[in-house]
Amino acid sequence: MEFLLEIITEEMPASHIKAGLAQLEEKLKAELIAARLPVQGLRTFGTCRRLVVVADIPPRQESKEEVVVGPPKAVAYGADGSPTEAARGFARAQGVAVDRLEVIPTPRGEYVGVKKAISGRGAEEILAELLPSILSSLSFPKMMRWGEGTLRFSRPIRNILCLLGGEPVTFSLAGLVSTGFTTGHKLHSPHKLPVKSFAEFKSLLRQNKVILDPAERKEIICRNIDKRLRRWRASLHPDDELLDRLVYDVENPYVFMGTFPSPYLKLPLEVLSAAMREGQKLFSVVRSGRQLPHFIGVADAPGDPRSLIRQGNERVLLARLEDAKFFWEQDRKVPLAKRGPGLARIIFQEKLGTYKDKVGRLKALTSYICEKIDEPKLKKDALTAAELCKADLLTEMVKEFPALQGVVGGLYARAEGYPEAVAQAIYEHYKPIGLEDSLPASLGGAVLSLADKLDSLVGVVGLGILPSGSSDPFGIRRNANGVCRIILEKKFVLSLNQLLRKALSHYGELPLRPPAEVLDDCLNLFNQRLRSIFETQGYRYDLINAALGAGIDNVYFAGRRLKALETLRQSPSFVPYVLMAKRVNNIIRDAPRSMVIPELFEAREEKELHAMFSIIEKNVGPLLEAGDFGKAQSMILKLHGPLTTFFNRVLVMAEDKKTRRNRLALLQAISQLLLRVADYSQIVVEGEK
Amino acid sequence: MSLQNLILNLHKFWAGQGCYLAPSYDVEVGAGTMTPDTFFRVLDRRPWRVAYVQPSRRPTDGRYGENPHRVQKHFQYQVIIKPSPPDIQDIYIRSLVSLGIDLAEHDLRFDEDDWESPTIGAWGVGWQVVLDGLEITQFTYFQQAGGIELFPVPAEITYGLERLEMFLEGKDNLYELDWSGKVTYRDLRLREEREFSEYNFNQADIRRLQTFYSLAREEAASLIERNLLLPAYDMCLKCSHFFNLLDARGAIGVTERVKMIGEVRALVNSLAQRYIRAEESR
Repeated sequence: MEFLLEIITEEMPASHIKAGLAQLEEKLKAELIAARLPVQGLRTFGTCRRLVVVADIPPRQESKEEVVVGPPKAVAYGADGSPTEAARGFARAQGVAVDRLEVIPTPRGEYVGVKKAISGRGAEEILAELLPSILSSLSFPKMMRWGEGTLRFSRPIRNILCLLGGEPVTFSLAGLVSTGFTTGHKLHSPHKLPVKSFAEFKSLLRQNKVILDPAERKEIICRNIDKRLRRWRASLHPDDELLDRLVYDVENPYVFMGTFPSPYLKLPLEVLSAAMREGQKLFSVVRSGRQLPHFIGVADAPGDPRSLIRQGNERVLLARLEDAKFFWEQDRKVPLAKRGPGLARIIFQEKLGTYKDKVGRLKALTSYICEKIDEPKLKKDALTAAELCKADLLTEMVKEFPALQGVVGGLYARAEGYPEAVAQAIYEHYKPIGLEDSLPASLGGAVLSLADKLDSLVGVVGLGILPSGSSDPFGIRRNANGVCRIILEKKFVLSLNQLLRKALSHYGELPLRPPAEVLDDCLNLFNQRLRSIFETQGYRYDLINAALGAGIDNVYFAGRRLKALETLRQSPSFVPYVLMAKRVNNIIRDAPRSMVIPELFEAREEKELHAMFSIIEKNVGPLLEAGDFGKAQSMILKLHGPLTTFFNRVLVMAEDKKTRRNRLALLQAISQLLLRVADYSQIVVEGEK
Repeated sequence: MSLQNLILNLHKFWAGQGCYLAPSYDVEVGAGTMTPDTFFRVLDRRPWRVAYVQPSRRPTDGRYGENPHRVQKHFQYQVIIKPSPPDIQDIYIRSLVSLGIDLAEHDLRFDEDDWESPTIGAWGVGWQVVLDGLEITQFTYFQQAGGIELFPVPAEITYGLERLEMFLEGKDNLYELDWSGKVTYRDLRLREEREFSEYNFNQADIRRLQTFYSLAREEAASLIERNLLLPAYDMCLKCSHFFNLLDARGAIGVTERVKMIGEVRALVNSLAQRYIRAEESR
């Protein structure tokens, strides 16, 4: 039977709608399956005012048989086999004739009991019971109460439509009783609409100015944007986040295009598009990367016959652009370099001091990174960028458009005539902002971004603030993720331990936790982030474990280890190689560490293995230093033959203690060498014993 | 429609909703939310409906009368309805219709915008209401004030009168707004904006402001001890205003800012607690 649920609320934020629908789906499925009502074909839809679920649910619970166990058989029947008072009493209590009692074998012996068929209850009854608690248990990023109610929800609930097989399912929640009707668009068709089925529901909503399906709204918006832009051979300055918000903000999308006076085109594209996006949620329109004097807006209206919506937006935008122009001109009267002292007035983090302190630390760390990655020529520009990169926090432009921090500093630096490398580094030093954001393109930007993120990371973790579950108020995970991605992509050879220690040392006297603890927590975090980055790239989990198992101090090398393992996996040597490594590992397990004494070797096979190993070790050393794990691996593979012969012909666990210890020492040395490439014991292969 | 008629229309509309039309409060405030007609009345459990015009001072928003949208004093039309009725959004929409706005031809949106005032320990959930791209109202379900969880929950509707009037008159410059048919916003307000911008940004004596702030704070603390909570609250408002002036003079460092906001909040929270205790034992 068709089940249809619609919660009408006041306008919810897009993030709440998605969170709400995901939980509704998960909880409904779990609860209904637990209630023996297998759900099928469950689908969810959302608008800013509606959470909708439609699914197929059987009309009744499946029936089941229940066994009620009574007294032990020995008590229930007399010697002659006739039922005793105990048996008759039990049968009476269960409402069955005494001859319906059966013998039930149990672990404690034989008992008498009765099997009863429990016929399923109607789905409607069960839904009415379950829905209030499911709906009350939904959680949103921020919850509220309203009126005289105690329920916490995203926004006030104003109607609940609930149908099963076209009939209303009645329950109460938050002072409302569920109904059999929905309502149309709040402004453009606010009618009560009785509904019998999902198909009717969807089409009634459409007639009443509501497009229920987000995918369809998105398609309508995109199609109409294309239509508007085609004439101008123009495109949108892409902003998927804005598009996604608009898809949920409107029930009845109408795309309009507006114009602004061309003198404002002197403002940079970044500033123009921020002025359009913030507040009015408009897209800026570009042709080959250059702003045109147009914008695109999405209204929640059936149309704009008298162009009032377009004109209204044009007027408001004009005021914003005028503000932006004013900021652009005012801000540039004070050069970035003169703004330094002002940073002492802005708090970076309550317990971690001001941005002036942060800039001091950034310079020290930037200088350190430049040295470590062997880019002395970069240092001068990178240090200038570090010195200036936070100055834009004091500009009116960033106060108005906080999302433009960094970008604005870069634009001002360029306008002030700083070298392009300085401007670029400032411009992109917050990148990557989200998990999917692109990395800084320039080397200077990458170094400054690393320094900035590491500094924030050790400071916040130093205070003992760690991300938990979905809560990560200081963006620590994002920072750690950015650090890993930059190091991997830019192929920086850096020691994470040293970097973190260095960053921590710049905090000087601040009362942070002991360095060892902070380092531990940071490294854990990096381990998790690297794992997640590699998983997203599609690597096998055991190869990831093996690569990370060899250490993450050098993040770039961790990536190279993984690539070497992946290459190995695709070669025929994979299984023999891994088995060889595991065999070595297994045999030396628990053996005390000892040194190889070549004079003690007796058998030809062990002498040969040792000779081979010594050559390979010597040759592999530089490869490992250089991070060429692929080549190192193929070189180590040459041990396979001698090792196999060794294992076949030589008894490692020899009677003689010295001989035994020496053979184990040789294997330990081999194992140590292997571990410098990867922790092969983590890899799962077929044919493992 | 003149600004004056806009106010009259809103008065008529909200009086029709059972609101008491309060006179504007006579102590400097940053927003209509801060006056006693809102602050104290949302704390207790009794129903409350009020509407009033409140001049709201934001010294840092001054632009010497030269910016067509920003002023250091603007006018809010504040409505509080407690408990929030189920159809409060519809009532609000009807208030716009009563001003002659034909919503069938416009794009009216409720955009997520939660509100918070750390100084009076208050926050709420709601929207900025945007009409054809113009923010005309802040709509909030109060969740907390004076550090106290509110029950029942009040709905607060704050119209920005200048914004709304600019929309109604189709003007781009607030100084050109018609106040009464006889005088304009410029006639009434331009000199005030110029002089106060000069005072707020350049002339206010920092040392004396600091003294005023301290005196008001001490007075508030001592009044709270004597259970004179309304006068104590006035002194907290004074503190908040002197704080804003000091801020406009660029005289508040980072640590001081946190400290001063914390001081005022502590006073406000403590008087809110006392007020509630007295109300509950009535």
